[in-house]
Amino acid sequence: MPASLRIAGKDLRLRIRDRSALILGILAPLVLSYIFFLVFGPATTGQGLGLEFGVVDEDQTGISASFTAVLESAAAEGILELSVFDDQAAAEGALEEGDVDSYFLVPRGLEQAVFANQPATVEVVGDVDAPNSTQIAASFAERFSSGIAASQLAVVTAATVEGVQVTPDFIQSLSQQPSVAGMNYVLIDETATTKQLDAPTFFAAGMAVFFLFFTVQFGVTGLLEEDRDGTLARLMAAPIPRVSVVAGKAIVSFLLGIISMGVLVVATTFLMDATWGAPLGVALLVIAGVLAAVGIMGLVASVAKTPEGSGNLGSIIAVVLGMLGGTFFPIASSGGILASLTYLTPHAWFMRGLADLSSAAPWTDALPATGAIMVFAVVTSSLAFLLLRRRLQK
Amino acid sequence: MKELSIGWVNVKRMIRERSNIFFVFIFPIALVLLIGIQFGSGFAPAIGVNQGDDGQLSDQVVAALEADDSVEVRQFVVREDLVTAVERGNVQAGVLLPAGMQTTTEAGEVLEIGLISRPDGTGTQLQSVIGAAISQVMTPVGAAQFAVAETDVDYSEALGVADELSEHVVPIDVSVTAVGEATFPESLGQFDLGASSQLVLFVFLTALAGSSALILTRQLGISRRMLSTPTPIRSIILGESLGRFGTALLQGLYIMVLTLIIFGVNWGDPIGAVLILTFLAAVGAGAGMLMGATFRNDQQASGIGVMVALGLAALGGAMFPLDLFSPTMQRVAHITPHAWALDGYAELVRRGGNVVDVLPELGVLAAYATGLLLLAAWRLRVAITER
Repeated sequence: MPASLRIAGKDLRLRIRDRSALILGILAPLVLSYIFFLVFGPATTGQGLGLEFGVVDEDQTGISASFTAVLESAAAEGILELSVFDDQAAAEGALEEGDVDSYFLVPRGLEQAVFANQPATVEVVGDVDAPNSTQIAASFAERFSSGIAASQLAVVTAATVEGVQVTPDFIQSLSQQPSVAGMNYVLIDETATTKQLDAPTFFAAGMAVFFLFFTVQFGVTGLLEEDRDGTLARLMAAPIPRVSVVAGKAIVSFLLGIISMGVLVVATTFLMDATWGAPLGVALLVIAGVLAAVGIMGLVASVAKTPEGSGNLGSIIAVVLGMLGGTFFPIASSGGILASLTYLTPHAWFMRGLADLSSAAPWTDALPATGAIMVFAVVTSSLAFLLLRRRLQK
Repeated sequence: MKELSIGWVNVKRMIRERSNIFFVFIFPIALVLLIGIQFGSGFAPAIGVNQGDDGQLSDQVVAALEADDSVEVRQFVVREDLVTAVERGNVQAGVLLPAGMQTTTEAGEVLEIGLISRPDGTGTQLQSVIGAAISQVMTPVGAAQFAVAETDVDYSEALGVADELSEHVVPIDVSVTAVGEATFPESLGQFDLGASSQLVLFVFLTALAGSSALILTRQLGISRRMLSTPTPIRSIILGESLGRFGTALLQGLYIMVLTLIIFGVNWGDPIGAVLILTFLAAVGAGAGMLMGATFRNDQQASGIGVMVALGLAALGGAMFPLDLFSPTMQRVAHITPHAWALDGYAELVRRGGNVVDVLPELGVLAAYATGLLLLAAWRLRVAITER
């Protein structure tokens, strides 16, 4: 058996008996992702904005009924939930109870006012804590209002260019319904696919890759521990190539990372219903991610003087990269400067690769992200290898 | 006085460690800044717009969308980028304004505007917002098209008439009223919410991380050496507790003062705010001591410490506002000291309360602190004196 594997085997046994790798590599990410999912899950999996509207029709005319009909058809499409109330008091009560976010009050005399070109007001009363929902309710009313206004305007414009008064006879004489004026555009639905992780997968993947950078530290930092404890000098004296010592530590890191990620992928799939995507694609991302983690933490170990120093610097780098990489909350979707900075971390590419695999995409969709992560892996691990080898030659 | 010396040594040990400077003093402030920038201004769904050309109608639609405060509008020059942004969830819906909107409408044809949304997202719900903005622009256009179809007037003349008349048509007015008491009042500053939650999170995190220092003290035999001097065991335990407590309190005060100076964070009644911090630091010290007395391996303890601290912070509402928890989760949250401390800060900051108003929260925190410190003192006595 090559010396590097022997060293790796010894360290691996040591780490497993020590249990710290188990805690950081498996227990912590599992527990935390479950808690995060429990706490943030309902907010992120709300499937949209959860619009709950009410309507009170005090007018009971053709125009007011057409407004309720617009809302009802939106409700039938699943865009919102609609409750029809008999009077304002009932709607007010439902709002206070939190059964609706906002309600529409269609006033008595609305139709009359429209026909007489007199002002009328549809009131949107909303919960102060649901401002977006209330604004969207208002935009429903505004869209309805512009539809009515379009018909009114169409009739008067036609009458004006003809040089006649608007009379019932004139309206009768028109060849088209005035309401067509408000239908001069259509919204063509171009449904896009989903390339975003659902809540359980997001938290499972985020915590797994966040703690991965702590887990792999146990391997590469081992080199500094051997140095501190005086066993490194003995290893150097042994008839084994120096490269094997470095390689042995890197193998430990790699194996710890792979074991931790593997266990987490399987465990979260069963415990939290996480959907990681095509197995081959996930495997590629995990391997690339672990290699990048080993490279970065190897680089940290190569510049640190003591195991404690390496551990501390490593934690700082792991936390900053993890936060910036959007493992706690999705940074990329918030726009701004951070959204571009996030792709300077392997974490962000790992999450993006998994997102590309969502909605049952083929494994090849993970290739671009895997490639990006491999750039981090190759650059950092070659640097780390060179630096560590030079250090051993002293 | 020996208690104070032991405590002071512990505070000094923490400050001398260079990486602690980052985690204790730089990182929390950076997070308050980050969270304030990202979420302080509130969440508004984002709509992406791709204009086929910069025609007048196209620009008018964009302007109408931008006038709506409930959404944030982002421009996309490349159509494919907009599709990708919707797929990744970076914007909630996309609007594709076709080229030549002017010519299409002049020809009296129906304008086709693309709406990109995801089956699972908020996109379809934003349809009404998008529709309202487009309708606003298209109303006079529609009237002109109608007049052209009904009479033999030409389009530009009809549009002129329609534009003029549109000022005289009285549309149905839409008034919006918000009712109820705001959970997050307007007066709540951009950084206020983030500052108090990060304070609670980090004071507890630092206190738990302190457990590894206690383990090292025991491992290296310092505790037993102290015991061999004429120092009563109760002084050692008290001193160690003071050390954890002092570190947590120091960090908390630092976060409070710095966020007050840099971000102008409103902490409410100063006495109440400092008292909550003091009691929370005591709870943290108790928990840190208990861990330090129970674990034998400092690496294990720091791993578990991070997990417990982050887990309790998430459960206790230090990462996501308690007010937005479901009723069941709110009850679960109040198992943690975090939730009580945050309730206290909410009372001080959002409702302008004073010390008297936060007495219940202080009481609960005091009970936690007493319980944990007594338990930790007993465990530590056992741990130091065994063998």
